[in-house]
Amino acid sequence: MTQLILFNVINGLIVGAFYALMALGLSLILNLSGVINFAHGGFLAIGGYIAYVLIPFIGFWGALLIAPFLTAAIGLIVERIMIRPLYGRDPLYSLLLTFGLAYIFEDGTRFIFGATSVPYQVPNWLMQPLSTDYFFLTGYRMFMMILVAAAVIGLYLILTRTRLGMRIRAGTLDLETVSVLGVNVRVLRNLNFGLGIYLAGLAGVLAAGMLGLSPTIGTSLIMPSFVTIIVGGLGSLPGTLLGGLLIGVASGVTTVFFPSATEAVIYVLMGIVLLVRPRGLLGEEGRF
Amino acid sequence: MGQVNQKQAANVAIWLLLLTAPVWMGWIGGYTELGSRVLVNALAAMGLNILLGYTGVLSFGQAAYFGLGAYGTAMTIKYLVPSTMVGMVVGVLIGTAAAALIGPLIVRLRGVYFAMVTIAFGQVFYFITFRWYTVTGGDDGVNNWYRQPIDLGFVKLDILHSGVLFYYFILFFFAISLLLMAFVLRSPFGRTLLAIRENERRARFLGIPVERHIWLSFVISGFFCSIAGTLYALLNNFVDPRSLYWGLSGNFVIMAVLGGMRSFWGPLVGAVIFVVLQDYVSSMTENWESFIGLFFVLVVLFFPRGVLGIIRRRVTS
Amino acid sequence: MTLLKVENASRHFGSLVAVDKVSLNVEEGELRAIIGPNGAGKTTFFNLISGLVTPTAGKIIFKGEDVTHLLPARRVWRGMARTFQITEIFPELTVRENLRIPVESAAGFRLSAWMSRAADEEVQARVAELMQMCALDDKADRLVGELSHGDQRATEIMMALALKPSLLLLDEPTAGMGDQETYDITRLIRKLHKDQKLTIVLVEHDMRVVFHLADRIMVLAEGAMLAEGTPDEIAKNELVQAAYLGKAA
Repeated sequence: MTQLILFNVINGLIVGAFYALMALGLSLILNLSGVINFAHGGFLAIGGYIAYVLIPFIGFWGALLIAPFLTAAIGLIVERIMIRPLYGRDPLYSLLLTFGLAYIFEDGTRFIFGATSVPYQVPNWLMQPLSTDYFFLTGYRMFMMILVAAAVIGLYLILTRTRLGMRIRAGTLDLETVSVLGVNVRVLRNLNFGLGIYLAGLAGVLAAGMLGLSPTIGTSLIMPSFVTIIVGGLGSLPGTLLGGLLIGVASGVTTVFFPSATEAVIYVLMGIVLLVRPRGLLGEEGRF
Repeated sequence: MGQVNQKQAANVAIWLLLLTAPVWMGWIGGYTELGSRVLVNALAAMGLNILLGYTGVLSFGQAAYFGLGAYGTAMTIKYLVPSTMVGMVVGVLIGTAAAALIGPLIVRLRGVYFAMVTIAFGQVFYFITFRWYTVTGGDDGVNNWYRQPIDLGFVKLDILHSGVLFYYFILFFFAISLLLMAFVLRSPFGRTLLAIRENERRARFLGIPVERHIWLSFVISGFFCSIAGTLYALLNNFVDPRSLYWGLSGNFVIMAVLGGMRSFWGPLVGAVIFVVLQDYVSSMTENWESFIGLFFVLVVLFFPRGVLGIIRRRVTS
Repeated sequence: MTLLKVENASRHFGSLVAVDKVSLNVEEGELRAIIGPNGAGKTTFFNLISGLVTPTAGKIIFKGEDVTHLLPARRVWRGMARTFQITEIFPELTVRENLRIPVESAAGFRLSAWMSRAADEEVQARVAELMQMCALDDKADRLVGELSHGDQRATEIMMALALKPSLLLLDEPTAGMGDQETYDITRLIRKLHKDQKLTIVLVEHDMRVVFHLADRIMVLAEGAMLAEGTPDEIAKNELVQAAYLGKAA
């Protein structure tokens, strides 16, 4: 029994880390620009598919490296053309726009690649379990964990050590002051969006290896990202990280006792948080 | 006073068109069932607009109450009592109760966070119906049931076999719902909702308990959306998790925005355009979802005030 | 009778002390002014009284009742009304509609789905009365968002009046106004004080307005009370002069 629980807790942490990766990108965009990027899942899928297309040419590792950047590039273009005009307006419009984009991305990938899953080749050695005792720790899962950790650390470094990062953080707190201080807010939002989409693209490449690649992969993952942000805390990146791990573990543990409630439990958690502390576990007051 | 007459004339014209729809729809390449679908969507969009256009809150999860209304009706008719009216009552009760229970959890949030949470709650119900295979039939939905003819004692209304009769059945409930809605929105309570939309802080400092009123608005909206949901189930003789999906919530919002959030009839106009377009495009291509998505994008970028919003501007300027 | 009693109210924002143990006693029928250099905490003090913000320490007692932790809407029900530094009105509604809402609220019609014809006529009459009082009746059906700054401010004051308050809190009512508008608003406030016998507490920067209207003045500086007294006493107070001149220098 304990091994089963252990398995699920560790599995939950891994899945949770993955949710966190996706939610971090979403959170970055939300905190600075006030936009809920409903198309985030779509970008995730695009990331996976770009990698899928690139693998025959530059192999698994090449695709892993390049695909997120290409996805981010698409994100930069989308932000510039479609989202920028909407900043001054009611947040309703940017939500509707990203809604529409989500539709387009999902249907577009279905059109190009077909509705069924496509095989995503992960190097064989990565798929081997690390030991026969802990059979569930496949190399790929550890690899994902490591990569997510690297991404989070990388994000942390960017936000604390680079000028761009500091401006993003300042802008999240007070965009008006930042613009008065001479920072080009438009470019800042654009790059921030790109950074968020990079994370989505990366998550897409990782997800492809773990879940297989299909057009609906993005839309099925976006809801846990929402819940992650709500539970972890509005406006807080550490909160998002915590939230992801929390719901991952909660989901994992629930699988042992109530398998059919695995997905529902994250919403129950969300409901409890909303009741007791609406701003989220590490959320800032006054964000809403 | 000229403006009031204009409004009255418009009202009369709209009702005339709706009353005679089965007659003229065929002339322009439509069909009665399409009209029924427009009405159902319009009712849901108008229900949503109580929150969006009148109270000014970004609710993106009304499909939850729509879907619950639909499921309540379908499952009642299939498993409990083969009666259309009972099915409808149960559906509306369930949908409205859900809105009443969820409301308090979200009224302390605003803006995009409010939207996020409404979407999330919508998905809760989606998951429940999807997973609870034994009760709800999961992805297959609830089928093998039919809307039951209505026995009024002196006459039996065969709404199952007569599409036209069923259209008028829907129109009847549409009309009653609209009357109720107009009544509420034009009341002192309705005005407090406008106040909240226009300036929440000012509303609070005029003695309006904002959170409570938003909750009430939420419940009222859920009520009308669940009525629409029951009619939807009856229309299709079928219901599946798709009626709870966030995509459907988004459709209702785009209908309201497209037609004009700030006017009473706006969502109806939006529903007409959207449903007809969707019907047409989906018959032309498999990739109609891309077109819907493109449609969203275009409306947002170029038509944010909606059709009636543009007309209103032309009239007042 | 003491209408409003603030006992040592303080408000901290982290390490910033916005309001530092300020006390205030306002008698019924008074017109009290609160002045002070920028950043003295006047608006925060108002926010404590009206309930927008809770004090970190101290009490607010209104009509003998401890309202320190009472929600703003409920303070309105008890008879407190306020205006804001940046005019808070309903921009896309007409003047008539803007006034109708507080009249209905005060008459208890907040949750009503229905009003009798008689009640409706009463409400409309009261709205008309209010509009006449501040000479806005010719603009009754115009959107408030389109009116001049002075008219918007007058509308806001009328909205507060529509609540039939016992205490009216006005936060910088003449802010951003030219001489003529300032004169008009001052006259309006004076009329409200004298004719309606309203108790008014006023935050103001314009000294002409303050000395023209106030029965007593309280001076705040850096969150704490610096001085209190009649206009004459305050005018002669050296500390007050230093606070103002010191800030200007």
